[in-house]
Amino acid sequence: MTTTLGIAAHTTPIVEVNGVSKWFGDVVSVSDVSFSLGVGVTALLGPNGAGKSTLLRMLCGLTPPDQGTIRVLGADPRTDLPVRGRIGIVPQQEAVFEAFDAFSFVRLAAILNGVSDPDLVARQALATVELDPADRRKITAYSKGMRQRVKVAQALVNDPVLLVLDEPLTGLDPRQRGHMIELFARLGAQGRCVLVSSHVLDEVERFGSRVLVVAQGRLAATGDFRAIRNLMDDRPHQIRVRTDKPRDLAAALLEKGGVLGVRIEAAGPGRPASVVVDTTEAPRFRRTVAVLARDVNATLWEVTPLDDDLESVFRYLVQP
Amino acid sequence: MTATATTPTNTPNQWPAFVAVYRLLLRSVATPGRLIAIGALAAVSIFTAVVVHISNPYDSLGAATGYANANLSTLVPVAVLVFGAATLGDLADDGSLVYLWLRPVPARVHVLAAWAATVTICIPIVGAPVILATALIEPDSSLLAGTVVGGLVAISAYSALFVMGGIRFRRALPWGLVYILIWEGFVASAGQTAAKLAIRSYIRSILAEYTGQSIKLAEFTLASGILVPLGVTVVALAYASRRLARTDIA
Ligand SMILES: Nc1ncnc2c1ncn2[C@@H]1O[C@H](COP(=O)(O)OP(=O)(O)OP(=O)(O)O)[C@@H](O)[C@H]1O
Ligand SMILES: [Mg+2]
Repeated sequence: MTTTLGIAAHTTPIVEVNGVSKWFGDVVSVSDVSFSLGVGVTALLGPNGAGKSTLLRMLCGLTPPDQGTIRVLGADPRTDLPVRGRIGIVPQQEAVFEAFDAFSFVRLAAILNGVSDPDLVARQALATVELDPADRRKITAYSKGMRQRVKVAQALVNDPVLLVLDEPLTGLDPRQRGHMIELFARLGAQGRCVLVSSHVLDEVERFGSRVLVVAQGRLAATGDFRAIRNLMDDRPHQIRVRTDKPRDLAAALLEKGGVLGVRIEAAGPGRPASVVVDTTEAPRFRRTVAVLARDVNATLWEVTPLDDDLESVFRYLVQP
Repeated sequence: MTATATTPTNTPNQWPAFVAVYRLLLRSVATPGRLIAIGALAAVSIFTAVVVHISNPYDSLGAATGYANANLSTLVPVAVLVFGAATLGDLADDGSLVYLWLRPVPARVHVLAAWAATVTICIPIVGAPVILATALIEPDSSLLAGTVVGGLVAISAYSALFVMGGIRFRRALPWGLVYILIWEGFVASAGQTAAKLAIRSYIRSILAEYTGQSIKLAEFTLASGILVPLGVTVVALAYASRRLARTDIA
């Protein structure tokens, strides 16, 4: 699909989010978030329950913010009908129109967007995601990955200026993932604003794009992917060391190990005592701990990072 | 704001959108389970009429009018509820409503399509059986005319109410049953003033006016018997459109 969107010279941002909050009862889902987006691919990264879907739904006008304002092309997507025609969304939920085959589903999207040749546009959109427009099986018969691609196809029929995709890579095999990521990059390069959410750090790395990190409803960090990765690498790491001589090793680590802090965890039922170390230089620590253990004649049973999971990364990022 | 999407465009033709949504809803709401369940109820109604016919009642016009009234005030609204509430309600429940909502199409187009789809399904699946059942007991032409008009008016009004219910309530089916059996059932028999608040009071007035038979609390003229439910149709569809435009979409 080739397009001349005429928005390359857009001076105002495509998306403007200003002081937006949203809560469901007592649960604060999105909290005082502000950012603006222009042309290109942006990743929205955050763990489960961070508020990604809620934020994306607000961007598309599917639910109003409780506080703050959202503008897409200068208009409120909640109330402005024409601006809806310039948004494409791939929602998180799997449900599609079960009675339809992929072609009819995408064609319906084209008709509702008022395109002049819905059949042609639907065929092109399906081809873009490598699906066969002649496949007349109902979508219910499709695999998860194929459904996911149908959902992407229906979002392309109106040549959207803003394309919002909520975890579009779930269920895709690595080849399809690669293909999708390429497609997002291409759509971004054509002058669209493409916003893709994910809770997988490595996935976002492959977008090679600008990143918005949300955690617990707040915008925890924004910037280029490498900057965020560095921010994460520079944080204090906690590492647990299990050994037969925790006291001796702890003393040696404090003296020569270049660590920020050391704490001894008492032995519990079925588990020996261990040393928990805070350090900002995890790779160097792994080398020195072995040397120091030999020096004090201690046996190392285990060296494990305590916080390498994504959760803790985000927990770190949202610390005030 | 300089760049805004609200450039004054000539209102786009919404007819293709209406037809497409109408066909979608027609297909998705007419599941085999629903068709069989409502078809079975309609068959029971016809079977009962056959039994009444065989037993050869003394006042067959009175019996047939009463039977038509009973069918129009219970069987018809229940069938309309099952299909009407599911049109947009099912899509809201499973999260596929977003594929209709996030389009440059006014909410009223979806609501009208849902109403039209409900009417289209309900006329053959309950409207026709009710007329047939009435004719089996007494093929009186004024009674049949009254049943046709009453049936169409009832299907129209209940379709609008229950399409609205499907948007307004998460559990539209139990709410709808409570409305039909408790509210309409009670209110319509609670006296002249209260009867004004039930669709079935108007429908039975249509039957009474056509046949000249007396039905309890059938107090309205033919004109108001027809016009009030049609007015309810318009108001319910307008409210449903407003509601759909402002609802939270998954
Ligand atoms: N409709 C709703 N009603 C009540 N609470 C909600 C609703 N939608 C979201 N929430 C709550 O808001 C918070 C953020 O949810 P959201 O779905 O936006 O997170 P997410 O980042 O998309 O998570 P995931 O990665 O699991 O999709 C959660 O605590 C969730 O329980
Ligand atoms: Mg989500």
